[in-house]
Amino acid sequence: MRIAIHHQLSITPPPETGNMVFQLLMTPRSGATQKVERWSVETTGIGNAARYADAFGNTVHFVNQMRPEGPVGITATGVVETSDRNGVLGKPTGEPVPGLYLRATTLTKVPVTLYGKFRGMKDDRIGLLHALMARVGEVLGGEEMQAGQLQSQDGQSQTQTVGEARKADAALLAHGFIGAARALDIPARYVSGYLLGDGEPPGLHGWAEAYDPGLGWIGFDPYLQICPSEQHVRLCVGLDALSTTPVRAVPDGNGVKTIAVSVEAA
Amino acid sequence: MGDTAPFDEMYDADGTVREPYRALAQWIDEQPEKALSLMQADAEGIFRRLGITFAVYGSDEGTEKLIPFDVIPRIISATEWRRLSKGIEQRVRALNAFLYDVYHRQEILKAGRIPEKLIVNNAAFCPDMMGVDPAKGVYSHIIGVDIVRVGPDEFYVLEDNLRTPSGVSYMLEDREAMMQLAPDLFQRIKVAPVETYPENLRRTLESVAPANVAGTPTIVVLTPGIHNSAYFEHSFLADQMGAQLCEGQDLFVDGGKVYMRTTTGPERVDVIYRRIDDDFLDPLTFRPDSMLGVPGLFNAYRAGNVTLVNAPGTGIADDKAVYTYVPQIIEFYLGEKSILSNVPTYNCTDEDQRAYVLEHIGELVVKEVHGSGGYGMLVGPTSTKAQQAEFKKKIEARPDNYIVQPTLALSTCPTYVNSGIAPRHVDLRPYVLVGDKVRITPGGLTRVALTKGSLVVNSSQGGGTKDTWVLED
Amino acid sequence: MLGRTAQNLFWLSRYVERAENMARLLEVGYKMSLTSRREGGEAEHLISMMQAAEVDEAFEATGRIADVDTVAHFMVFDEGNPSSVKSCLMAARTNARSVRTAITIDMWQSLNAAWLEFSQIKPRDVRGAKLLGLLQWVRQRSHEFRGALLGTILRNDGYAFSQAGNFVERADNTARILDMKYFVLLPRADLVGGDLDIQQWTLILRAASAHRSYRHVYHDRYKARNIADFLILRPEMPRSLVFCARMLNQTLESLADIYGKRLDCHDVVADLCAMVENTTMDEVFGKGLHEFLTEFVARNNRVTECLSESYNFY
Repeated sequence: MRIAIHHQLSITPPPETGNMVFQLLMTPRSGATQKVERWSVETTGIGNAARYADAFGNTVHFVNQMRPEGPVGITATGVVETSDRNGVLGKPTGEPVPGLYLRATTLTKVPVTLYGKFRGMKDDRIGLLHALMARVGEVLGGEEMQAGQLQSQDGQSQTQTVGEARKADAALLAHGFIGAARALDIPARYVSGYLLGDGEPPGLHGWAEAYDPGLGWIGFDPYLQICPSEQHVRLCVGLDALSTTPVRAVPDGNGVKTIAVSVEAA
Repeated sequence: MGDTAPFDEMYDADGTVREPYRALAQWIDEQPEKALSLMQADAEGIFRRLGITFAVYGSDEGTEKLIPFDVIPRIISATEWRRLSKGIEQRVRALNAFLYDVYHRQEILKAGRIPEKLIVNNAAFCPDMMGVDPAKGVYSHIIGVDIVRVGPDEFYVLEDNLRTPSGVSYMLEDREAMMQLAPDLFQRIKVAPVETYPENLRRTLESVAPANVAGTPTIVVLTPGIHNSAYFEHSFLADQMGAQLCEGQDLFVDGGKVYMRTTTGPERVDVIYRRIDDDFLDPLTFRPDSMLGVPGLFNAYRAGNVTLVNAPGTGIADDKAVYTYVPQIIEFYLGEKSILSNVPTYNCTDEDQRAYVLEHIGELVVKEVHGSGGYGMLVGPTSTKAQQAEFKKKIEARPDNYIVQPTLALSTCPTYVNSGIAPRHVDLRPYVLVGDKVRITPGGLTRVALTKGSLVVNSSQGGGTKDTWVLED
Repeated sequence: MLGRTAQNLFWLSRYVERAENMARLLEVGYKMSLTSRREGGEAEHLISMMQAAEVDEAFEATGRIADVDTVAHFMVFDEGNPSSVKSCLMAARTNARSVRTAITIDMWQSLNAAWLEFSQIKPRDVRGAKLLGLLQWVRQRSHEFRGALLGTILRNDGYAFSQAGNFVERADNTARILDMKYFVLLPRADLVGGDLDIQQWTLILRAASAHRSYRHVYHDRYKARNIADFLILRPEMPRSLVFCARMLNQTLESLADIYGKRLDCHDVVADLCAMVENTTMDEVFGKGLHEFLTEFVARNNRVTECLSESYNFY
């Protein structure tokens, strides 16, 4: 299906900033589950940006502004065509080796109680991962979980929209899944992206992907308890939510603020 | 490695002077009484003048001290050096190939030669470096290999310093002092020059400029500033190379390129010899609280617009836990047997080896995996029972955090001390430059433990230095 | 050259010159306080001296009562006083260390030796008669540094920035010394022309090391008008405002030559020069000495600001 996205943020540099530098992880890539039809990132100085692929294969715009005055706005807009492949992405070329995603990070630390009982299931990796997704939902989600109640873990200093509150909860669950998978020697990575709906408000979202030597990368959404569908648009991947932060700036003043996110069927 | 006397650089076991030292021994014999003690006193004065900054910074701030200099040089024959330098070149080529691999396809991990998690979960592994293609494929351009000698033909590599090895200014100043103190010795003995180092450093740095640089690349030395203990060396090297000495605040990134702020406006920078640790290089990518670095520097690097020397993330190749795999690394990438030996190392995560270590701790040296400078280590034979008990506990609690090696009988070299000339333990750090080719300066820094019987040569713990001579054929 | 290097060279020279000038000011303040025959006169002189150095508020903040000992300690040893001799020497040395590769070994040695010797001195050993000896030593060390600079440094942009710092600071100081006399006189206008007045003018001349050269120029007894003329308008007097302004102008012109470009700072310094070149003592006194000096100091500060902007100090 065709999904139209509009994502707007802003940063207010502290007064008398000589040079503000910021990197944007705001450009989705085409792959097995999606085709980027059109996409553009707009901000002051984007014409002078350095554009390259980062360590995880994401498209980065690196921008700076000498003596910025007032808030700097950043807008990403475009249309992505998605298809439902039960979350299976395969083994894309040009990405770092899956082994990289065995690295533990602070955000993906998990207790052994979360994954210990799956140690015996290593021969059925796909089955293990599905069971793990269910278990993470049980242990970290729980019945009482409501949007925004879990500790913010999405690496953004300000959450303002409904979508962002949901994203924080989704990040917590995804981190639990990723940490457990890595502890079981399964490479797993974090995906930040957009969600169209499915009974949920449309907006920002985060989920996980784990690696299977046969099928390659497979998506798991522990928040929705499904493998990503055509409602999911992948934006970028990394070790955890922190490494997929869409906008990172120095100096960042009061932090990066999300102004608006809209995700609609086009 | 029992009770036999350690190998002496100058005298054979029967007391005859070894060939490389013959001319020197004769010269010492010819010197009138007191000549050496006068030389030693002169050396002090020369250092105060030459390396004025060694001494004076420290006198009221305690940040830099005059490191003691010993007037008796340490000599390596041309034959010995040929073997050493072949071994060193082999190591630095293999380790650079290893760095390229772990930050790309990770073939060595896939082949199961090194456990995957030992690399990707290592604190010294820098995930942000994945996929970076540094100029000429070189990650570590400036290397100081720590070598110890235990016998006529037995050299061991103690550590490969691939991050930001220091001390090269001492190698240069020691030579300059020695030539002033005993010019006649240099007439009698043909010693290979070390003075070429700054020029070779410059050539090396120029050779690894980004491919898109036209004309002569602009090189700068990036220092944390005057409060860093190696500041003298940073300014010395910048001066010798004719490069700007910059602090983080002197550089900025604009349009993905790096510039320095000059009196006539921004000037593009192509190669940065940085003496700032990875963590502090760029607050945007690494530690956000770093005030020493340049925001966006790593992005400019990643975009291919500047060369960082050494590259971030080289620490994975001189990590103490990876050290034990260096012979396999050499074999994997070069298909050769390693020329220089590693010190045999016990792996405490292995139950049998750990049991041995805990039982024999009094004979062994225990090092923290991420420690340096002689801190966080236990030298078994000179330690107390309490210290041994403490380290046993530490090893049991975190076996992966320690490596354990036998106590090596470091070679001794005659050294001028209060009581006259006496043998003292020494090590050796040759300096290697890797760019368009590998350049090894003949010589290096010889560190000497001035306390009788001591095996700790670190300057922070009472070590001194000697001029190091490589003889020409 | 890095903008920071230029800045360090500029301030290195300024701080050395300032250390010397603080020693001069204190010497004058101290001697004036000795000549005071009135109750509370001693403190009054010392305070006006600190006003001239613009450190009076910082001194007040220490909560101490102004007498020779407390003020001398404050002006020489107090690290809380950013203009104390100690603070100046420290700042000079820090600037020198940062540009170690841009200065000569002789310059470094001179500065470093001064610092090392100074740090050996215990404040309690420098009271009374010993104070003047120390102040002389400070001046000598400053001369030695300048000698090392003039004798060894390359005549390039680095030299120009050093010289600029030197003359900006010296002009500032001469203006302040003159203004101190104004402060001292203000409450006691009846004394103008009296013995005490003459004595104070003499001390002003001494503070500028100018009491003997005055005779060579004027062949006359000390007169307020002559002394002001000497320190403001005499081009042969190396501490006069006009001399400093001309040197500053020449220095900046040489930068324009080296870099092949004239910038805002060149106009500002030309204005400063014009202010002291195209005037007479009648005009100065007509306008009011204090007002004239205040404007000069402000314009002189503007030179530093403009220099910083033009050559990317930061």
